Amino acid sequence: MTFSESLAPRSVAALDTIQEILGTLVARYRKDAVLTAVRQIPAREAKFRPIPGWVTSALSGAYRAKGIQHLYSHQALTAELVHDGKNVVVVTPTASGKTLCYNLPVLNAVLENPDTRALYLFPTKALAQDQLAELHDLSKRLDDRFGVFTYDGDTPSDARKAIRERGHVVLTNPDMLHTGILPHHTKWMRLFENLRYIVIDELHTYRGVFGSHLANVLRRLRRVARFYGSNPQFICCSATIANPGELASQLVEQEVEVVEENGAPAGEKLFVFYNPPMVNRNLGIRRSYINESTRVAKELLARKLQTIIFANSRLHTEVLLTYLQQANPSKPGQAEPIRGYRGGYLPGERREIERGLRDGRILGVVTTTALELGIDIGSLDACVMAGYPGSIASTWQRAGRAGRRSGSSCAIFVASSAPLDQFIVQHPDYFFGSSPEHAHIQPDNLEILVNHLKCAAFELPLSPEERFGNVDLAALCEQLGEAGFIHKSGGNWHWVQEAYPADTISLRSVTSDNFVIINTTGEENGGPEAIGEVDFSSALTTVHPKAIYIHQGQQYHVERLDFDKRKAYVKRVNVDYYTDAIRYTQVRVLEIAEEQSIHGPAARAHGDVLVRSQVIGFKKIKFFTNENVGSGKLELPENEMHTTAFWLTLGHSLLVELPFTLSERQSGIFGLLYALGSMATLLLMCDRRDLGTAVGERPPSAASEINWEDFAAPRTSDITEFFEPNLYLYDAYPGGIGFSEPLYRISNLLLERTSELISACPCDNGCPSCVGPAGDRSERTKNVALAILGRLCA
Amino acid sequence: MQDQFRRLKALRPPSLPPPSPTPSGLQWQPAIPHIHAEPSQVALALPDQPDRLAQILGASAKTNQYGDHLSLHCWFGEPARFAPDLRALQLLMPDVPKEVADPEQWIFLDTETTGLAGGSGTYAFLVGIAWWEGGGLEVEQFFMRDFSEECSLLSALAERLAERRVLVTFNGKSFDWPLLETRYRMSRKIPPPTPRAHLDFLHPARNLWRLRLGSVRLSQLERHVLGWDRGADLMSDLIPRIYLDFVRGAPPERLIPVFHHNQMDLRGLAGLSSRILSLLSDAETLGQDGLELFGVSRICERRGDATRARKLYERSIASVLPMETDRAARRSLARLAKRDGDFAVACELWRNASGNSRQGYEAYEQLAIYHEHKARDPHQAREVVRQALDELRRANHTGAITPGAYREIRERFEHRLVRLERKSGRPLLDVLAAEPSGE
Repeated sequence: MTFSESLAPRSVAALDTIQEILGTLVARYRKDAVLTAVRQIPAREAKFRPIPGWVTSALSGAYRAKGIQHLYSHQALTAELVHDGKNVVVVTPTASGKTLCYNLPVLNAVLENPDTRALYLFPTKALAQDQLAELHDLSKRLDDRFGVFTYDGDTPSDARKAIRERGHVVLTNPDMLHTGILPHHTKWMRLFENLRYIVIDELHTYRGVFGSHLANVLRRLRRVARFYGSNPQFICCSATIANPGELASQLVEQEVEVVEENGAPAGEKLFVFYNPPMVNRNLGIRRSYINESTRVAKELLARKLQTIIFANSRLHTEVLLTYLQQANPSKPGQAEPIRGYRGGYLPGERREIERGLRDGRILGVVTTTALELGIDIGSLDACVMAGYPGSIASTWQRAGRAGRRSGSSCAIFVASSAPLDQFIVQHPDYFFGSSPEHAHIQPDNLEILVNHLKCAAFELPLSPEERFGNVDLAALCEQLGEAGFIHKSGGNWHWVQEAYPADTISLRSVTSDNFVIINTTGEENGGPEAIGEVDFSSALTTVHPKAIYIHQGQQYHVERLDFDKRKAYVKRVNVDYYTDAIRYTQVRVLEIAEEQSIHGPAARAHGDVLVRSQVIGFKKIKFFTNENVGSGKLELPENEMHTTAFWLTLGHSLLVELPFTLSERQSGIFGLLYALGSMATLLLMCDRRDLGTAVGERPPSAASEINWEDFAAPRTSDITEFFEPNLYLYDAYPGGIGFSEPLYRISNLLLERTSELISACPCDNGCPSCVGPAGDRSERTKNVALAILGRLCA
Repeated sequence: MQDQFRRLKALRPPSLPPPSPTPSGLQWQPAIPHIHAEPSQVALALPDQPDRLAQILGASAKTNQYGDHLSLHCWFGEPARFAPDLRALQLLMPDVPKEVADPEQWIFLDTETTGLAGGSGTYAFLVGIAWWEGGGLEVEQFFMRDFSEECSLLSALAERLAERRVLVTFNGKSFDWPLLETRYRMSRKIPPPTPRAHLDFLHPARNLWRLRLGSVRLSQLERHVLGWDRGADLMSDLIPRIYLDFVRGAPPERLIPVFHHNQMDLRGLAGLSSRILSLLSDAETLGQDGLELFGVSRICERRGDATRARKLYERSIASVLPMETDRAARRSLARLAKRDGDFAVACELWRNASGNSRQGYEAYEQLAIYHEHKARDPHQAREVVRQALDELRRANHTGAITPGAYREIRERFEHRLVRLERKSGRPLLDVLAAEPSGE
């Protein structure tokens, strides 16, 4: 893609409108400080190809009747490759007609041979429902010559039998495949014996833990298919990511052809970066990005531009929705013009909103990631992103929701003060110049693999000659046998537990366990009320007993944390301090995979580590002055896991040569780690919570026996000199999810970008956008961090 | 690698309940007469456990093209052979294939499995079948000493099922048979047998005895319906553990009660099916109590034999029924009488049933409908509705009805009253004024 910096007047009225809006928005400020980028993405012409000759006339007729005379070039290419028996991944931006890429070859095969079966996998139930409508329409046009069904947790049990027998195309999700279909494969004999195609839509969502799980579910699926004598082909669709081919072939463990050319047309688009103005330069505080996003959206809506607003949390969705509905009240007898859309809304309501967006009755929608994926809502005029979506790929994906095939559109990114947001908004060239991120998975993560191996043994006895990932299967089976899960008989390993293994294994286990926050203030008026949720890993640091939990600007005191029931009971308070949990994390290196000296003197390495962490107390910190006004001890459960990590070792000579005091050096090391963590998240396309950070003394020898006594009495004193510290960035999931090795490979880039992040930050002494909040850091944290980076990058 | 395994959570042995002890006093009791093979009194100390099992049980290893499995035969004089009556069978199965009436074609089946959830990793390690022979019941049990013997077991079972083609089970329609079908499919070699008919007695048993017994476990039905006593018996949820322990090397003795349990289930099933079918063919003389009669009448009514159902409802009411069941029986009887145009009987039943309960108000309503539409006596209909409203008000005053139900039912009757008054030509305002709303 090429971008034009030119903002010369265009004849298109819509662009003028957008320029006018931008003018209104920044009238009070220095324009270039607020609008850090205004890029124009030119329109793209459609590239057409004829419908291939091998497509049956019935099917091409049905498509023609729907108004599809030609295919876009990528659709035609995908169909040809599938027809030739290849596995394909097609990279499709929003609204480029991706469903046709797989429906055309699959339905053609079904029409040619009615025994043919296909399984479509979507990451959510809602997406499967969305596709069902399109397929039903085609089926009707073809005299119901094929059956299409969704099969998920909502499918009534009396309908299931018919689906197993008569569904030519079965639409489901990985979770249902894992717990509902594979363990009962004999009931699906008809499907498995004739299984020719597996479609994996929204491939890019299968990264990290979820992707690693899916890769193993697919290993099981291929194994069951082999049992019934079939060897299905894979057709995958992905949003734009850096490595679609690599991800697809890691998931399906076969060669996959990549179709990246996009033949769908697009109108021109203006992409704007908006950084809310500073209100306190000293502390690095900017105007609230939620309020600023509301302003931006109001201007767009006021000019009747159909707008989608993305927020990064459910809570922010609701806040934005409230503001915008107040500004755009519904007229009597007419539908609400601004609607919310997120997980937790009922299916019927969602369908109604989707329809409303398509036919224009709804002017604006506020949403979370729920509408980032391929739900059909037509194309809108404008997109506002309140906060950086977390990755370049998903930013383009969201921006793609605005964009008519002809005519203009705009996408506006409003940055929050989080480090990633600030880096992106201040380095637009980085965003517009780089490829989207890589998606990483680790299908051979032993913890995940072994769990799926159990499921596989339940599904079919395991033969020692089989392959299941890149592990020593024979040795693993012996272990599972010893632990009493499987038993060897007649040369094969059989499942010998009463329990059903798939039931206890969740494919999305990292974030499934949330704590609910319950407000008990004024219980006499209406009883306790749930006001929010926090995920398991942050619960211990944000809602521990006596914590001050801040929710929508209101302070709450945590009275009680019910760890087993996952509930935190809070009461509204008004105090002049907030709390900061003291988390004690120890990392031990178990095994070094690779290690190399770098400038400095320093070293980089990656390998297996053991992470032990515990919240041991908290500090009370006064607002504005950031004084430490008290502290408390906590006894909370300890967490221990074996995972993988990337780390930097800073040599002793490097540290002592720095012209700073001991405490400044210590503070600088923590500040550097904070910034490294933020930047690594950006480069890896992962969630901030997927990556943990810790500092520890470099152990004398990696193989030394773990002595937990060392950990028993955590040092609370702030100043402890590190002799040769290790700065760890570890995968926050047992077994690791494949971030460490890529980080090791790109460590130079990581250091350079971190350096840019810190030096470009306009704050004086460090802020949440660079090396962390100023309060608990020395004033020279930024300088120390930059000095260290300077030596490492030299 | 070994070291890595050690740290895996997924490899930690599952938390197990404490090893299931053999229930005290539960030894192999040849309490059943006429057993062919007396179990050997002295367990020989053989090196191979599975062989020792054959010894203690008196079972023999059978070999076919797929390998070996164990087979155990025994014969029981009780229950005695029973020839089902076609009429009774028709109540269970609308289109009865002719084989079903031939007791020689019957084959009882019950499995013991490695888990209760189903799915392709659940095995039927012991399959017991039984058929009528020599005036009593012949039982054959197929057992796999290890998973490698499964195909041999399935093949032998398929042969037996081809000889007798009426499959008879208890909860086998939803559990045992689908599980066996899965096993046959998993074998990829042996086609699943295809019975001509499958009779399952779980639902009839539920109709007949759930009201009395609360639940319908087979052992409970035996005790209460057939008057049998199993003596010490295993809890069936312990069975998977016992087998899986055996496969992993536990002593074979603990399996003996499992074989016993399976035999008892087959005998219970045979006895119960005889009992159910005789009740269905002649409840009039065989019915022990009103509840059984009530159960049979419900089955008759569902199968469309209204005449017989009516007679049986009458008889069940004439005997002593618990209050709830008595009401249900009267309601059904009234419904059938109404359908037959027998309003004298129906009205009598409704009058007796009317009162402060859901069914009681329904009876009032039925009476009102009868007087309004059949007898064409709006005055009498109005009288019934007034009685119902009085009843409601009383109940509301004493708190004998929930406010929601009160409102809902009152509205229904008031609506009816207004219509009746309109029919009778009285001015509407007078009607409403005459009826204080009661609040």
